[in-house]
Amino acid sequence: MSVADPQFEIEIQLLAQAVDEMDYYQVLKVNQDATPGQIKAAYYRESRVLHPDRFYQSSSEELKANVLKVYKRITEAYMVLKDYEKRNKYTQDINGPERASRLRFTEESEQEQKKEKDEQTGKTPQAKQCYRQAILDMQQKRWEKAERSLKTALMYEPDNELFKQKLAECEKNIAEKPAPSFKIG
Amino acid sequence: MSGEIAIGIDLGTSNSCVAVVLDGVPQVIPNEWGDRTHASVVSFMEDGSVLVGNNAKRNIITNAENTVYSVKRLIGRFFFSDEVKKAQAVMPYEIAEGPNNGVRILIGENDYATSEISALVLKEMKAIVENYLGAPVTKAVVTVPAFFNDNQRQATKDAGTIAGLEVLRIINEPTAAALSYGFGGVENQKAVIYDLGGGTFDVSILEIGDGGVFEVLSTAGDTYLGGDDFDDRIMNHLADLFQNEHGIDLRQNKYCLQMLKEAAEQAKIDISNTGRASIHVEGICQTQEGDVLDLVTSLDADDFNRMVMDLVQRTFKVCDEALQVCRLTASDIDAVILVGGPTRLPIIRNSVKHYFQNEPLTTVDPDEVVALGAAIQADALCGADSEHFLLDVTPLSLRIATVGGYTERIIEKNSPIPVERTRSFTTSRDGQDRVRIKVLQGESKREDECELLGQFEFSGFRIGYRGEVKIEVTFEIDTNGIVNVTATDEETGQQTSTQITLSSGLTEEDIEASRERAARTKLAGHAA
Repeated sequence: MSVADPQFEIEIQLLAQAVDEMDYYQVLKVNQDATPGQIKAAYYRESRVLHPDRFYQSSSEELKANVLKVYKRITEAYMVLKDYEKRNKYTQDINGPERASRLRFTEESEQEQKKEKDEQTGKTPQAKQCYRQAILDMQQKRWEKAERSLKTALMYEPDNELFKQKLAECEKNIAEKPAPSFKIG
Repeated sequence: MSGEIAIGIDLGTSNSCVAVVLDGVPQVIPNEWGDRTHASVVSFMEDGSVLVGNNAKRNIITNAENTVYSVKRLIGRFFFSDEVKKAQAVMPYEIAEGPNNGVRILIGENDYATSEISALVLKEMKAIVENYLGAPVTKAVVTVPAFFNDNQRQATKDAGTIAGLEVLRIINEPTAAALSYGFGGVENQKAVIYDLGGGTFDVSILEIGDGGVFEVLSTAGDTYLGGDDFDDRIMNHLADLFQNEHGIDLRQNKYCLQMLKEAAEQAKIDISNTGRASIHVEGICQTQEGDVLDLVTSLDADDFNRMVMDLVQRTFKVCDEALQVCRLTASDIDAVILVGGPTRLPIIRNSVKHYFQNEPLTTVDPDEVVALGAAIQADALCGADSEHFLLDVTPLSLRIATVGGYTERIIEKNSPIPVERTRSFTTSRDGQDRVRIKVLQGESKREDECELLGQFEFSGFRIGYRGEVKIEVTFEIDTNGIVNVTATDEETGQQTSTQITLSSGLTEEDIEASRERAARTKLAGHAA
């Protein structure tokens, strides 16, 4: 069994060192145009080799730690690549100029993704523009301004749920005073 | 077998079961009297020994203050939680507040952590196998409801340690059930596990792939819904009837309540088996004038079904949620597995069949299926060649508290485990020497709607101006579904020291002391 194989131990050690430089496709050993089925198959294949359960009885703590490090990256890769929207965003990021800092999908990537999606909403150009302005104002916590823009956007598209939702958010913030910005300490 | 025996334990709210793989075949181990499932009841005897199992169950009425049951509802909970308040109202044993907002159970002069009570149940399971095989048992896989949070998992793991067992793994009950069905040879099946236990309800959807891969696609649950709620409905019905007739509310007396509870449970079982139940409890209470009253009535399946219809519907809301997460519909499901005693009820079987358009699999006893799966996993972790892999997920989102009572999500629910996420934090004041992070689990943005796991305090990093010091915090969920938090100073790469300032759990010293106490405690009713 390959578990006790010294060659395998060296391979895993190298892989654990290299994994921070690899993108998720490289981690799962698939091409960027892989189908969802191929991604799932790759996840199963890698799990069969590297699931920490296989190394439960191993006496080498170092081997276990390396396996765990690599395997955690495998689950992370699968989690992002199995989700259509996350995968799209991630693939753009790693093929862009900031590749080195985008190898791991983070909460920030998720927020950017959400922002882009938000910007694409609205059917009429007028509403879209008002909405974009409102979102900018909301980010700056200019709630009253955002509220006016959203009300205008709703004149063009009275049934847009997202506009209504954002409007409610503004109204709530106006009523409650702005929430303080995120800090710990 | 490698010489060492590793057992699988289903530690249930109402009943527990233990199994082991012998010569490659998983089997349930009965106790000396042939019982295959054992009431999760611990009764403290006058001579200092404890009685665990079906014989202890009788003492719920005769020795109420010294007999603890349904402790699984309390394990890993904070004293201030609603579940604990609810238990205080109905449980005949005394529940008190312990250190760190923990829960203690008072028995005479002594007090016990909830993990210590569960440890005694586990110790009994261990003794059953040791008796049967005549060899010591040191290792176990213990199951928990898929929807258990980190505190509950940690407390269950601690219980194993206290019982003198090395807990190889905490696995989810529905996942264990799927393992015991095996699905050897079939590929790319999608199975749903409908697990209605005594105290909790879980649904997991699994894909069984080639090469023995069991991938959990999604899991959903309700830790406040179980067979006990069905009993409660019957109980309240009976109590209302009795009150109308005699003007006495049986619920006001814990002794009467116990008799009522037993009658309700029996009625449920009778309806399940024969479609109707005759209820006759002699001497359930006494009037102020000293007349002894009996409770006599009957119940048929239609009455019962009407009483519990909304509970049954609630389980399917959870099924809807689980299906939605993995973008499947009920008709995509190839196999349905029923787990837990209450799934014997015809109303459950029929409703499940109707919902999934699929005859549920019942070849393995729903009371034993989880323990058998746990034994298979225990054997796989100890043995040489494992033929299957469990790819499980975390049931709840992991969050941190921000400001103003809000939270931010760190790890999304239904993420495959083990998993880790790293976040950077900066100091917000000049000369700040510690950073405090509150970790929670739940799906709400509001802090008070999530379950608090603990508060971590990091110190020992460089001291600088605000915003200058960056601390990298890593949140990890391991293969047990247990959360670990570590932090490093980003610049120096030095690990900062971590202190947990709020946690319902036990410290290592507590566990050690409890382990010694449990080792001294004699189990009554065993030869050895």
